[in-house]
Amino acid sequence: MERLLAIWIEALCEEAPDGSTLRDHLALLDALSVLCPFTESVRLGLFVLPIRGPSRFFGGEAAVMENVRATIVELTGHEPSLGIADGLFCAEMCARRALVLEPGATESFRRSLPLSALGRKDVATTCQRLGLHTVGSFADLDIARVGERFNKQALVLQRIARGELFELDGQRDLKLATRLRQLRGEEDTRDEQLGFFGQRGAGDDRAEAAAHRVRRRLGVDAVVVASLRGGRVPEDRAALVPWGSPKSVIRDVAPWPGQMRAPSPATSLTRPVAVQLRDGNDHPVVMGVRGFLSEAPTTLLFSHQLRREVIWYAGPWPLVERWWSLNRRRAHVQVLLVSGEALLLTAESSRWWLAGIYD
Amino acid sequence: MFAFSSNRPTLPEDLVAILRPVALAKSRMLPLGEPWGSLVPNGGLRRGSTVVVQAQPGLGGLSLALSLLTESSARGHWSAVVGVDDPGVVAMADLGVDLRRVLFVPRPRGAWAESAADLLDGVDLLIVRPPSRASHGAARRLIDRVRERGTVLIVLAEPASLWPLPADLSFDITNAQWATSSRLDARYLTVRIGGRGEAVRAGEHVVVLPNRRGRCEAN
Repeated sequence: MERLLAIWIEALCEEAPDGSTLRDHLALLDALSVLCPFTESVRLGLFVLPIRGPSRFFGGEAAVMENVRATIVELTGHEPSLGIADGLFCAEMCARRALVLEPGATESFRRSLPLSALGRKDVATTCQRLGLHTVGSFADLDIARVGERFNKQALVLQRIARGELFELDGQRDLKLATRLRQLRGEEDTRDEQLGFFGQRGAGDDRAEAAAHRVRRRLGVDAVVVASLRGGRVPEDRAALVPWGSPKSVIRDVAPWPGQMRAPSPATSLTRPVAVQLRDGNDHPVVMGVRGFLSEAPTTLLFSHQLRREVIWYAGPWPLVERWWSLNRRRAHVQVLLVSGEALLLTAESSRWWLAGIYD
Repeated sequence: MFAFSSNRPTLPEDLVAILRPVALAKSRMLPLGEPWGSLVPNGGLRRGSTVVVQAQPGLGGLSLALSLLTESSARGHWSAVVGVDDPGVVAMADLGVDLRRVLFVPRPRGAWAESAADLLDGVDLLIVRPPSRASHGAARRLIDRVRERGTVLIVLAEPASLWPLPADLSFDITNAQWATSSRLDARYLTVRIGGRGEAVRAGEHVVVLPNRRGRCEAN
């Protein structure tokens, strides 16, 4: 993790009604950006900058801190409290205590912090009753036990305590950057809609204009953009939303246990088509409660006239999902038709559906 | 003088490759990933050209067309897909298409040619699946527009919806064979590549599309 210098200015933490806090903050940010271009304003009263580059430039961490201190005192008249550690969380804690940790000392410092530093009252109280007073003792708890007792955020807290994550959940003020930009008179030109495409370029503008034309011709939801989200089967993982919808925050980044592996169907039907599977005696193939097929399927019926011979099948792969609310039971089967087409079928509520075509 | 002397010092090959002036034609080409890069002339898709991918329904035509997008998409080119009702988003992501720069018009409701023409200005690659055989006039207008705008048009044609005009480059899937284990593993596509103009290394090639990781690779 990157070694950070955190700058904590107590006087700037509370916003003054005359707006001077924000102005001071902006002036400080500009001044510190001259010392180190990667300076960030994390929250009101808290700045961080990566210390490695500047300390080489100025000749040591002490020299950087001296420069920073002089700049801040000169500009605002407030005495800052400086701290150096790895990661934002520990850097802030050090800054509040005016501590400079040696490289490699962050781990032991973090473990020695009181539990209240993590900022969750219920976790802190419960753990204290159990005799756990430091972040380190919380980190040593079994993950499964923490998950049972608390919610998901507590697991995130524990990852911070273990040093796997480096930022507390509300540590950054996300609106501050926008407010500073407004104060500076720069208009925030990034529309919510356009943010969907990430950073902008000339090609993005052209594509956007083209999408607008098609929308005018065919209607608002004619142009669609796709993204991936978590899920086991292809139809769950695909998110197709009309172009211009607000950016979705859920992204498929984490590994998903039980995920159906590639190859995935190139055509994934958003509205599955009901089909029938028959065995050699022309009886319907059904999925038993144990997840086995009653017979090997030999025929696939799209309708009475349209029937295709099945030469191979794989599966079923049963999925029992959300038994606490939806109680959705599904199973997937891959079939290969005599014509060479491969299909993905779903069994749900004792019927068969065509979910995808390996087109 | 020096340049013509016989004992002029030779440069290492890799340096020569860097120093050689970039061919202007390159900027008129959109890159193709492997294995297509080594199978088509110039290793890319010429801007303003029309590519026709022809296959029986369900035998890999869509996968092939999408696999032509991957390299350009990864390099930041925009693409659009018109007339593919239910695109397999996961399959596209597996192939390596950057979904952030793909526009879909799944159901153009009879206005596929107009939608395609609208999108031509905005994207570098355009996949079109006409619902039926395109009229000669509509195809001609679209191709003229493609040539003017420098887009690459990829037409996904099936026997019921043949493309009425000759293509600059054509991929014809003649056979598709699945390799299976306890699941579908990989599909071996026999593709006949043809075209006009510069001699295409015409002939049949077998490519794996998709393979076990959902990507396209040489056999």
